[in-house]
Amino acid sequence: MSDALEPKSPRVRTFDASKWDTLAAWLSQSLGARVEIIAASLLGGGAVQENWRIDVLVADGPRAGSHAWVLRTDGAQRLSVSIDRDAEFAVIAAAAIAGVPVASPIARCTDETVIGRPFLIQVFVGGISAARQLARHPDLARFGDELAHDLGRALAKIHAITPTGGQLPSLPIPMLAPAKAEVARVRAPLASASQSRPALEYALSWLDANAPQSRDIALVHGDFRTGNYLFDGTRLAAILDWELAHWGDRHEDIGWICARCWRAGNDEPHQEAGGVGSRRAFYDGYNEIAAAKINEAVIPYWEVMAAAKWAVLAILQGDRFLVGGEAAIELALTGLMTAEMEFDALEGIAAIEAARIAK
Amino acid sequence: MSKSSKQKDKPKVKRLNAETLVALAAETLKSEIVPGLAPERRHAAAMIANALDIARREITTTDEGPLWALLDQVYDDGDGTPQQLATDIRTGRISETTHPGLGARLRNVLIAELKVKNPRFLRSRGLKI
Repeated sequence: MSDALEPKSPRVRTFDASKWDTLAAWLSQSLGARVEIIAASLLGGGAVQENWRIDVLVADGPRAGSHAWVLRTDGAQRLSVSIDRDAEFAVIAAAAIAGVPVASPIARCTDETVIGRPFLIQVFVGGISAARQLARHPDLARFGDELAHDLGRALAKIHAITPTGGQLPSLPIPMLAPAKAEVARVRAPLASASQSRPALEYALSWLDANAPQSRDIALVHGDFRTGNYLFDGTRLAAILDWELAHWGDRHEDIGWICARCWRAGNDEPHQEAGGVGSRRAFYDGYNEIAAAKINEAVIPYWEVMAAAKWAVLAILQGDRFLVGGEAAIELALTGLMTAEMEFDALEGIAAIEAARIAK
Repeated sequence: MSKSSKQKDKPKVKRLNAETLVALAAETLKSEIVPGLAPERRHAAAMIANALDIARREITTTDEGPLWALLDQVYDDGDGTPQQLATDIRTGRISETTHPGLGARLRNVLIAELKVKNPRFLRSRGLKI
């Protein structure tokens, strides 16, 4: 029997009904008001973390009343490239102040004795986040470009957050040009990964050798794509999943959402921005708000970076099954997707090199 | 009727081997189980069907020919491994400069791998397979 087929430990949920009382007691103390949990249900999505909707009744204080909140905790394991929940809370709070639509943060807990893992509590925001549902929405032609435009505006607001003034001190400031720093950051977890992938190393070496020299640094969401925001039917309701946030080159986020691997299988040329709207609508929304317009010449480079980074993340997800022992089929299947992103990365490199020769 | 023509008329009998069983399991899952599932369970069932499809292709297809051909080209002594190649590319010992066409050959390795793991992906990228 190969290692891959040996029985793995079952996937254990961090939060369940037995922890309602301890959570309610912690919330009461943290918020200075009596909090009662009325209901809790596991929300879909999030191979890395668990998301629970909790309906609460706050008896007194400024938040008195019924509320729907979200408890976000890590899954059984957290990716090595993720920031911790404390840092994530600070990032979301900074984004809220900058005018980015977010699920407002309520409380954070790093004490693992409460429910067994650190967690965040945020306001519950309704809407669709499922990427394939959005990219195949029957009304996409009606709302897609407007959504892409709003995504561009929201992203520009995120990128207006910079390290000046000592903001978000827990996020390390890259000492190299951010593109080179990102290559190093993406490469680092491969040292302990279960697989050696020559094509991925080829792409990363190319990215290192061809890194843009810009040293401008902004807050990069790090996973800004369809699947990580909520659309409420008429507008962009909230940007989600900030655990890969870091200081970096703002074009990284633009390349990420426009990369082919993040279009949820929608290959329509007029919906290249996240598989929902046109690149033009997205760029225009961004340029309306941003202090500096998008440098479109570097986007193909960052799309190669997106494919390479997603390939690394896929290896890490697969290793949660292969090495970490989490018996979840989506983790195993994600690990098998690595070659797809490598293929896109090599295609992107070939296209950039061909365009250089043609000049 | 001759013996040979009798054999020709016989319906083709499937062998109950690993490939047939995995294919049958996937087909049964899709035709008999998935339609009766609640919508929130269908995603898990689709993932199981996908895993079975990959397993079926892996049983019948070898995807490592282009990889070993590349390793033979790069390493004269014939004992190169994917790990060695990955390390050598990372350190720059092997590159497009030292081995022109390396990127194109790595692309062929990926195509062979994806024919097993996700042929639909290759078709979506315009490859006729």
